[in-house]
Amino acid sequence: MTTGTAREKLIRWPLMLIAVATVLGPLLWQVSTALKGAGESTVGFPGTLLPQDPTLDNFVTAFRQIPLLRYVLNSVAISAMGMATTVVLATLTGYALARIAFRGRSLYTTLLLATAVLPFEVILVSTMLVTRGLGLNDTLLGVVLPQAVSIVAIFVMRQAFLRIPNELAEAAAIDGAGPFQVFRHVMLPSVRGSLAVVTVLGFLDSWDHFIWPLVILSDPAKYPVNVGVQYLSGTFSADQRVISAAAIVVMIPPLLVYFLMQKQVFRGLSEGALKG
Amino acid sequence: MTALATEPRVRTQARRPEPPPRRRHRWFVPLLFVGPALVLQLTFLFLPLANTFVLAFTNASTIGGGTFTGLANFTELMSDTTFWHAVGRTFVYMLVAVPALVIISTCLAVLVNTRLRGTALVRPLLFSPMVLPLAVIAVVFQYLLDSDGLVNQILAGLQLVSEPVPFLSDPDLALFSLTAVTVWKGCALYTLITLAALQNVSAELDEAAQLDGAGWLRRTVGVTLPQIRGTTVMIAILAAIATLRVFTEPYIITGGGPGDSTQTIVVYLFQKGISPGTDAGYASAISLVLFVFVLTVSSISWLISRKARA
Repeated sequence: MTTGTAREKLIRWPLMLIAVATVLGPLLWQVSTALKGAGESTVGFPGTLLPQDPTLDNFVTAFRQIPLLRYVLNSVAISAMGMATTVVLATLTGYALARIAFRGRSLYTTLLLATAVLPFEVILVSTMLVTRGLGLNDTLLGVVLPQAVSIVAIFVMRQAFLRIPNELAEAAAIDGAGPFQVFRHVMLPSVRGSLAVVTVLGFLDSWDHFIWPLVILSDPAKYPVNVGVQYLSGTFSADQRVISAAAIVVMIPPLLVYFLMQKQVFRGLSEGALKG
Repeated sequence: MTALATEPRVRTQARRPEPPPRRRHRWFVPLLFVGPALVLQLTFLFLPLANTFVLAFTNASTIGGGTFTGLANFTELMSDTTFWHAVGRTFVYMLVAVPALVIISTCLAVLVNTRLRGTALVRPLLFSPMVLPLAVIAVVFQYLLDSDGLVNQILAGLQLVSEPVPFLSDPDLALFSLTAVTVWKGCALYTLITLAALQNVSAELDEAAQLDGAGWLRRTVGVTLPQIRGTTVMIAILAAIATLRVFTEPYIITGGGPGDSTQTIVVYLFQKGISPGTDAGYASAISLVLFVFVLTVSSISWLISRKARA
């Protein structure tokens, strides 16, 4: 790392601007399209990049003409459930793997590691058959349950519990605390940071899911936004302004979470990467 | 995406000695902790995985039925030119997207690895595509790459082209347009991982090289980057596995077309087993071939990391 000399600024700044423009450009164009009135052309460069007469009509149309609100609510429900199951299951399992001696623990750990590289697409058809066999097809529960356990989250929590010094748990046990009291009052409060990371990642992951809800849901009224928006862009509306408005609505929640929880997200992701 | 990011740590940790044995609990205590996740995994992970191996040797439909047909699916697969074209395309995807992802991410990470003012603002913006849903990115780029989309407007505005470039409607070009979308989205995560590695590099070697009079570029290429070689290999492997699984981009943006020019392995698997096809047996055979490809790439990464450790 070097300090900011004048020459460095001269080289780095323009390059950084180009990089940021490449990332933000498509998104800003989307915002611009969404704000354009019905009579305004969406093509032509650079003249029409800024909407001449900005309007929020397209957002209103998106919510009124197409069931966008329903899609958003479906996504919120799926993400909330996905986040909750990820956090709860990862915490319980991670704790057991880290601090409870039980028969088959190393076998289970190995099995988890082995399946961590298994792409979901490989078991896509079979998972659909199993989920349908359980009568869960076309239900939000059927969307959530097959992806409720995050192996990555389990290992993030396992690492967090491993870092807690033994003395802490032993002291509580000597004071007469049962295993669940130790877990609840000693262990959980010590892993708050990792819990935050797993929560944020759980939300972002669920919001991103596409292929599985696409496969298991057939009733458009149950679609999450991701599936809904592509379904709309393909079938109903040819109006790019409305689709752009809908796309922006879908992007706002993850961006909001990301910018609010930046520190946690970065810590979680880079902790994982650093030790690779 | 996050699954991939943390995976290597998982692997290194597994080789560490297990923690000292804890106090013994009553038999049901571990079960209460592991049970809920285990039940879900038995149902939605281990059972489907085993079932995939069984189905691949049957002519089962997703509607039901099916009898054992031995290797019939696999012999059919061997002579299925549509499948091998999909495999070929997926590997082309990999050969284009992986180097692009690695090179661009490394350059970006080096670029923002500075204390220059403003970088703190640039970084989060640069990483933000990481959290945007891929399905929505695909919808955005569908318009962006359209004949009167932003890219063509810019090219025309700069008078670089006289006719709109058929990014998505030309069979020879469509696959590469899709890789561009993958790279746009993927760079965010891989740049973040590379940047994290760069920030852990010791400054001493760099300072020594500086005293020897080496310029910035030589120090970066000759001193800094070799120190993060492990991370670079890792992101290449992660990107390779991700490209083997590519589905959302072609499914949404081109629907596998024009013709079948962007039909990848997973798109074909989807078409055979889910929609419009219902051939669960054949789709499972395709799944297993995909699994073999992914395992091959993973074992390459395992071999490399073992060699690095030795």
